[in-house]
Amino acid sequence: MSQSDIWTEKYRPHTFEEVVGQQEIIKRVRSLVQAMNIPHLMFAGPAGTGKSTLALITVKQLFGEAWKENYLELNASDERGIDVIRQKVKDFARTRALENIPFKVIFLDEADALTKEAQQALRRTMENYTNTCRFIMSCNYSSNIIDPIQSRCVVFRFKLLEKKDVLEVIKRIAEKEKLKLTPEALETLYEASEGDCRRAINLLQATASIALDINAEMINMISSSNKPTGVRIVLDYALAGDFLNARDKLLEVMLKESISGQDLIKIMQKEIWNLPIEPEVKVRLTEKTGECEFRMTEGSDEFVQLQALLASFVLAGQGKAL
Amino acid sequence: MVYENLAEKYRAIKYGDFIGQEKAILEIKAFLHDFPKKKGIILHGPAGTGKTSLALAAAHENNLEVFELNASDTRNKAKLEELLKPAAQQQSLFKKGKIIIMDEVDGVTGSDIGGIPELVRILEVAKHPVIMTCNDIWQSKLAPIRQMCTLVEMKVLPPASMVQLLQKITIKEEVTKDLTTLQQLAIKSQGDLRAALNDLHSYAHTDSKIDTTERRDIEENIFNILRRLFKERQDFLDLFDSTKLSLDEVLLWIEENIPREYKNEALVKAYTALSKADVFRGRIYKNQFWRFLVYQNIFQSAGISYAKPAPQSGFTPYQAPKRILKIWQHNQKIIQKKSIAKKYALYAHCSIPRALRDFEIIRHIIKQPGVQEQLKLNEDEVAFLIK
Repeated sequence: MSQSDIWTEKYRPHTFEEVVGQQEIIKRVRSLVQAMNIPHLMFAGPAGTGKSTLALITVKQLFGEAWKENYLELNASDERGIDVIRQKVKDFARTRALENIPFKVIFLDEADALTKEAQQALRRTMENYTNTCRFIMSCNYSSNIIDPIQSRCVVFRFKLLEKKDVLEVIKRIAEKEKLKLTPEALETLYEASEGDCRRAINLLQATASIALDINAEMINMISSSNKPTGVRIVLDYALAGDFLNARDKLLEVMLKESISGQDLIKIMQKEIWNLPIEPEVKVRLTEKTGECEFRMTEGSDEFVQLQALLASFVLAGQGKAL
Repeated sequence: MVYENLAEKYRAIKYGDFIGQEKAILEIKAFLHDFPKKKGIILHGPAGTGKTSLALAAAHENNLEVFELNASDTRNKAKLEELLKPAAQQQSLFKKGKIIIMDEVDGVTGSDIGGIPELVRILEVAKHPVIMTCNDIWQSKLAPIRQMCTLVEMKVLPPASMVQLLQKITIKEEVTKDLTTLQQLAIKSQGDLRAALNDLHSYAHTDSKIDTTERRDIEENIFNILRRLFKERQDFLDLFDSTKLSLDEVLLWIEENIPREYKNEALVKAYTALSKADVFRGRIYKNQFWRFLVYQNIFQSAGISYAKPAPQSGFTPYQAPKRILKIWQHNQKIIQKKSIAKKYALYAHCSIPRALRDFEIIRHIIKQPGVQEQLKLNEDEVAFLIK
């Protein structure tokens, strides 16, 4: 296969040795792979810390050249429901693995996007195909995965990559692509990536598409184009008592920036501390924000909950008790 | 001259014959396409909205052999089993596929031993799509079926469309009726097309005036419901019984109109109540706890009404919920963005939502010609990137 022009793929490590960070996990997974038999695995941790990479390395080490025939990657937040996933698993598991390894590997990314009911169904599927398939699940929080699935997996907890590790990855790529980054640019890149290695590499490539000599301003320019704007305007409308405009703007921001309510509320929560209101009121608003975020994770309608929260900002703007 | 039953004679045969049921048709198409993802689909709505016709039309459009069953024919376990199992379990010997149509499932009552549980079992083993119709989907006895099926609501035909249809039929039947008579028929029918056609039939050759006072159950218009909810101060626990909108649809109407009616403290109280109704709505869907409908109902009726300190007066122009429409319109606008994100996500081992979130960063990368080729972007997608 020709080399990819997308750097996250071009520079994705193919062997355990190439991986930066997560050394403790690497050691343990490598020993499992060397025995040519892996149990079900669960990779829990934040985005861009190497979960997909490690899953790919695992299958490449197990199956060599034939890894593609023996590997199925599914993303739970993309597939339309558990029935689709089960059907794909069924079709994939029907044929036996070709190599001298008696199982195939299914990587189910973002498994915590599945509802509890869907996870129950998945658990039965895991049992049905346990002789012919091994699952590697990834999730942000293992607490969102039901116990019966967790207990069937060996759980690995990925930590956010350390700053030096992210910078190491960036420097390696910059050298190969003949880029020059100022020390400030490196700092800015790390800050903007929020420790997410995928985002750091994407930012680097996006900036490099403009210039090979990279400074901090260029990175800022690219990364700020990706930051949702308009949340402050939503709050300002609400504080001024104009609820209808606040609400329209809220929907507009969510749609235009393709962000979920759960992402948006994190920005709101930070923004509360920049608002021109009494500190005690900020604490009360934060409490309501937390309740709102919790309800969203429980499956409430994000927009109804956000409106209820916005209504509190109207009172806060008038200096009234909440 | 009218010889045969007009309602039967003008029954819609093809999807194209239906008026105002585009959404239901889309859903039934999706259901048949995705079968056996869901085994059954329930078409629900008031009488005369075309539930049975649509089920038959689906069979016709897909060249499927119909296995029709009226709950009123076979009201016990033994008969249901005898009649449904062979059709549901055996693949047809011939090429032609089968479809099972089960009319009026709300007619299967508690006294029919095994009725509902048996239907559940049939749905579990069925090898063919099962289309069911019923008037009131929210009866508690139907809860087990509800969970297993796609629910599709049939819309009531608005009077203006019905008048147009009646006009066409009177011309074909060579019956002369003036517009006022047809309008009266349409209003009297309350959206029940079959009733309107039956009435037309019976009035076809008489000159008697149509008695519009004989409306049986009057549907209260959602605007009236909102006005009472927002202006008066009452418990209102039965308020939504008089609308054919579901509780979730009513929730959207209330959501849209709270800020047009309430300000400040009342605004906060009303939204607090609505957000609690929504929390219970979420729990109902997540855990299938249908009993929680009680809580959802109380928060979105009494909770909203008592949010204000005193009854209000004055005219408020209420609006239909706009959010769903806005989201849909937006999704149409970003169709290319989504398809690009999908191709990227597959290639770069990440999810579509993540690709969408970082789209402005990724856009710079995908713009490069080599990457466009690797992702196999089509012309429309490339045009979107450059725009």
